[in-house]
Amino acid sequence: MDAEKRKQKLREMFQRVVDPLGYKFSPDEEIVDFLLEQEVMLEKEHGHPFCPCQGLTGDRELDMKIVCPCIPFHRAHFDAMKRCWCGLYVHKDVEDPYSLVQISRSEFEQMQKEGKV
Amino acid sequence: MMYTLSTCPWCKKSKNFFTERNIPFEFIDYDKASKEEQQKIREVCSAHGESIAFPFVIIGDDVVVGYNPQKYMKLLES
Amino acid sequence: MSEVTWVYALKETELADGEKKALLISGQKIALIKKGNELFAISNKCVHMECPLSKGELENYVIKCPCHDWRFDIRSGEFLDAKELKVPVYELKVSDGNIYLKMEGENK
Ligand code: FES
Repeated sequence: MDAEKRKQKLREMFQRVVDPLGYKFSPDEEIVDFLLEQEVMLEKEHGHPFCPCQGLTGDRELDMKIVCPCIPFHRAHFDAMKRCWCGLYVHKDVEDPYSLVQISRSEFEQMQKEGKV
Repeated sequence: MMYTLSTCPWCKKSKNFFTERNIPFEFIDYDKASKEEQQKIREVCSAHGESIAFPFVIIGDDVVVGYNPQKYMKLLES
Repeated sequence: MSEVTWVYALKETELADGEKKALLISGQKIALIKKGNELFAISNKCVHMECPLSKGELENYVIKCPCHDWRFDIRSGEFLDAKELKVPVYELKVSDGNIYLKMEGENK
């Protein structure tokens, strides 16, 4: 399958996954296109469309948790950012993805401790 | 020092941030690194209580995970 | 209007305990699963990337997709890590040793 078609297919499948979770594709089409392209490449190389912004470890249990869309495995953290780590998805009410910042896991855990999230 | 992924747009933005300001920096693309290097990088991430998420930017003694120009600025100024 | 029909799936004797079978019924991909004396029918297309759940491992009432290990409860179809996501489950009945599935008329 050529890359363009695969990108389209991933988009369709992932749309069905993220919609019930309250997420949508980022309104930044350029970044969406770039990220999906990376996922198609990663799928070709490693067999699965992994997150382009998280690192593979070689440990299946960990690596399966960063197959796109990985929202179910990082739900509270991503909900706090209103986006997923790589920014392919944002909460449905987000119009300007650049108003969102990445919060690292340790920052998020600190926020949890302080009762901010 | 910066740990990045060649596939991640936020890593590119981070690199650009430093390049545009003529601030020299070193980086390692985790996905292009050797197994040993990857292992070392993972240890650094874990030591900071972080997941294996990029960009991982080290400025002095501080670490910023994620693309965050405001934070980079602040740390560079201090 | 959608029409409800009972469609023959398989003979009960054709499915052993713990066995999973992939079937195509009324154009739908179905995984038929036997666990002890209980039978379950769920969609055979994983909600993630449509891999066949019938090829997954069954542990208690949980089936693990062979592709990326997403886990589903075969009784409700629920995805264990996000309950908003479900694979469709089908009602079934056994009559004279034959298994029938309840299918909605409109095929998607
Ligand atoms: S296709 Fe089932 S877990 Fe990915």
